[in-house]
Amino acid sequence: MTRVARILTAVLLFCLPFTLAAEGVEFRRIALTLSEDGRILLDADIGYDLNETVSEALENGVPLTFETHVQMRRAEAWIWESDVVEHRLRTVLRYRPLSGMYELRNLQGNERLAFATRDAALRTLGKIVAMPVIDRAALELDEDYLVRIMVQLDIESLPLPMRPIAYIKGDWSISSEPWEWRLRP
Amino acid sequence: MKGRRFDVLAAVMLLALLLAALHMISAAVQRSEDLGQWFVPLLLFTVVGLVLLFGLIGWNLWQLLRDYRRRVAGSRLSARLTALFLVLAFVPVSVVYFYSIRFLSSGIDSWFDLQVDSAMEDALTLSKVSLDLHKSERLRLSKTLLDSIEDTSQTAMALNINDLRQASGAIEMTLFTTHGKVIALSHQNPDILLPTPPDSGMVQQVVAGEDYIGIATDADGNLIIRSLVLDDKQRGIVLQAMYAVPASLSELSANVQDAYETYRTRAYMRSQIKFSFALSLSLVLVLGLFAAAWAAVFTARRLVQPISDIAEGTRAVAEGDYDKQLPLPRVEDELGFLVASFNAMTRRIARARNALEENRRKLQTQHNYLETVLGGLSTGVMALDADGRIQTANRAADQILGLPVAELEGKDLRVLSMRNESLEPFVERTLEGIRRGLREGRAEITLYRGSGRQVLLCRHSSLDTGEPAGLGHVIVFDDVTELMKAQRDAAWGEVARRLAHEIKNPLTPIQLSAERLRHKYLKSMPAKDAEVLDRATHTIVQQVEAMKAMVNDFSDYAKPSKLQVKPVDIDALLAEVMTLYEGAPQHMVLDAQTNGLLVEADPVRLRQVLHNLIKNGLESAGANGTISVSSRSGTEEGSDFVEITVCDDGPGFDPGLLGQVFEPYVTNKTKGTGLGLAIVKRIVAEHGGIVSADNQAEGGGRVVFRLPAARRRPAANDEPAPRQQGRSS
Repeated sequence: MTRVARILTAVLLFCLPFTLAAEGVEFRRIALTLSEDGRILLDADIGYDLNETVSEALENGVPLTFETHVQMRRAEAWIWESDVVEHRLRTVLRYRPLSGMYELRNLQGNERLAFATRDAALRTLGKIVAMPVIDRAALELDEDYLVRIMVQLDIESLPLPMRPIAYIKGDWSISSEPWEWRLRP
Repeated sequence: MKGRRFDVLAAVMLLALLLAALHMISAAVQRSEDLGQWFVPLLLFTVVGLVLLFGLIGWNLWQLLRDYRRRVAGSRLSARLTALFLVLAFVPVSVVYFYSIRFLSSGIDSWFDLQVDSAMEDALTLSKVSLDLHKSERLRLSKTLLDSIEDTSQTAMALNINDLRQASGAIEMTLFTTHGKVIALSHQNPDILLPTPPDSGMVQQVVAGEDYIGIATDADGNLIIRSLVLDDKQRGIVLQAMYAVPASLSELSANVQDAYETYRTRAYMRSQIKFSFALSLSLVLVLGLFAAAWAAVFTARRLVQPISDIAEGTRAVAEGDYDKQLPLPRVEDELGFLVASFNAMTRRIARARNALEENRRKLQTQHNYLETVLGGLSTGVMALDADGRIQTANRAADQILGLPVAELEGKDLRVLSMRNESLEPFVERTLEGIRRGLREGRAEITLYRGSGRQVLLCRHSSLDTGEPAGLGHVIVFDDVTELMKAQRDAAWGEVARRLAHEIKNPLTPIQLSAERLRHKYLKSMPAKDAEVLDRATHTIVQQVEAMKAMVNDFSDYAKPSKLQVKPVDIDALLAEVMTLYEGAPQHMVLDAQTNGLLVEADPVRLRQVLHNLIKNGLESAGANGTISVSSRSGTEEGSDFVEITVCDDGPGFDPGLLGQVFEPYVTNKTKGTGLGLAIVKRIVAEHGGIVSADNQAEGGGRVVFRLPAARRRPAANDEPAPRQQGRSS
């Protein structure tokens, strides 16, 4: 999705009368650690709980795209200041009827994993292990930084006919509360 | 005008944008991979645009409704046209929409029927069965391979596994301990150093004693068979082998799976697809309807605008604003022609109005001019209609007739005589002229007014007013009383003066000659002749004296008098004069009733009047006659007067001379100059009075003269004591 379309969507969605409730995703554990080679690494354990509507769509072959948005910016940054770091981890979960397995496909590396059960697939989906965020050297040492992590089901990646309904129906607004952490390198 | 143009431009731009958005929505639906991301923004944009358009139409309709309620010109027609256009647009569009939705719904439903459902299921099952065969072969191969590993040391196994993988044609082969620790790995790609990790479920299943065989997809989307088998020799190792599915089978199976997935997803999304299509169609419908509604309002207003203008213009013309010009519509159609005709009409009406106004003004000027001229005339002018009703009269008419004639406009002429009896001769003569249908006529009318005799010289002429009611009449009259009197007086004065001059001059030589004859010859002549001469000269001298007296009378008459005016008590004057006749043989009666009213008069001249009248009466009455002198006071036309009447019981005036008794030298007596009554009239006239003579019913002449009263006698003497005086001889 281009940036303009994304902004336009965001602006227009802001005008919509309904609110997007944060539910279906929770952060069980998040850790930012400094590796030996001076990189800041992210470890996370994210729990996904798909409701009946979304599960039904998954079982019927609708691919679900989950996006983990990792954002880091100066704590005192102006609103127009760009982020220090922005990662979007996008993973597609879908059910393959031939094998009867759930498949996770990492859109960054095009890596595919097959799982016999949905829970196993969701567990793997929720595991972020030692994801490099940024080199510590790239940060100002006397500056506070705000790390913000948010996970959501990307409605725009759903098949076209489902999007209007997904925007309107609350069942489809699967997202986490934004998790924020103040960091001084 | 500019604001309206801007409105139209904004509305057209909004419509164009919405149309473009709908087109892009349609494109996004068809090419979801390229434009799919724009679908929802476009949808939202369209909805917002439609809401704006709805607001615009609502505002226009509200304005229309407001105008309709206020009964603004053209609003009713606008409302009717708008309603008509809306119905014309709504009905067909609604019908098309209804059937489109039905066709769409049934069309989408027809994609998914039971036969296709089962066919898809069967195809998938067939693929599964085909793959299952392949899988079971691979599972067996994997078990065989694991059994073939004789070594117990992990190093030997690691060395061995590469040969085994190459021999079996597997893609990847990994040896794990049951705890998940990798013992050995062989991959057809030597760069890959990490095995594909089995998920915990698979490992648990294998450790529990049940081998795992499954289908997975590699990074390129190719199907691969994954098998996990437990070592039967109790060595605690698990072999994971990944085999490529034969390309043909893989491709076919992948196709079947993709088709099945697509079908299944679509079947699941059936209601959503219907909803999306219905939504798009509804948006198109709403856009179409809104565009039609807006166009209906706009077109109706535009069509009705010239008619509204004409209605406004007509109202303005009805209210008298003839300068109203309407804006010409840009399009030259019948309405434009109508507006142009209306403008031409108002221009002509305005010109006609201006001309009329100019004429009216001229007429008014002429009327004013005429009124001024008539007002300035000393001649009375009165206009009557065919029925003798007063139409107009000038100031002189008011003055001459002594009535506000102009205020009696529209009333019958007889109202004049009703208001003032003395005007009856004037009214009757005028009406008689009208009755007789005379076109022109002249008459001299004498009125006996309170203030005295008034002679009017009237001219009457018909007036052709051009009205169907008939002819009108103009009465022009002059008060010639003074003129006639002056003329007559002047004429008689001239006669008297000439007589006096021509006769008086030879009288003295005649008298002197007669006296000289007498003086010279009387003594010298014989007595008989002397007697004749004496008698003859005596007669001559006597007659000359008489002639002198007569000539003096004429001279008196002709002589312009100078009045020595002072307040005179008439009753006292009468009593004084009557005493002079106490010795007369006739019976003298005085009845004084003026109640002490004074007149401004010259008492000497007034005495002369009384003497003349009494002497006339005495001469007429004879020796045993009775002379009655009476006075009274009265009021006529607001002015007081004193009336003195002298009657006798003689033979009275000759009826044939009655009209001229006051003319000089008119007399039926053997004696006298005939100037007595003329002098009476002259003196009375000099005092502003009138005198008249007639015969009494019981016989005998009567002369009445009236003088304007000045004021009353002072209060001390204001005792009305009627003086009765009588004496019989």
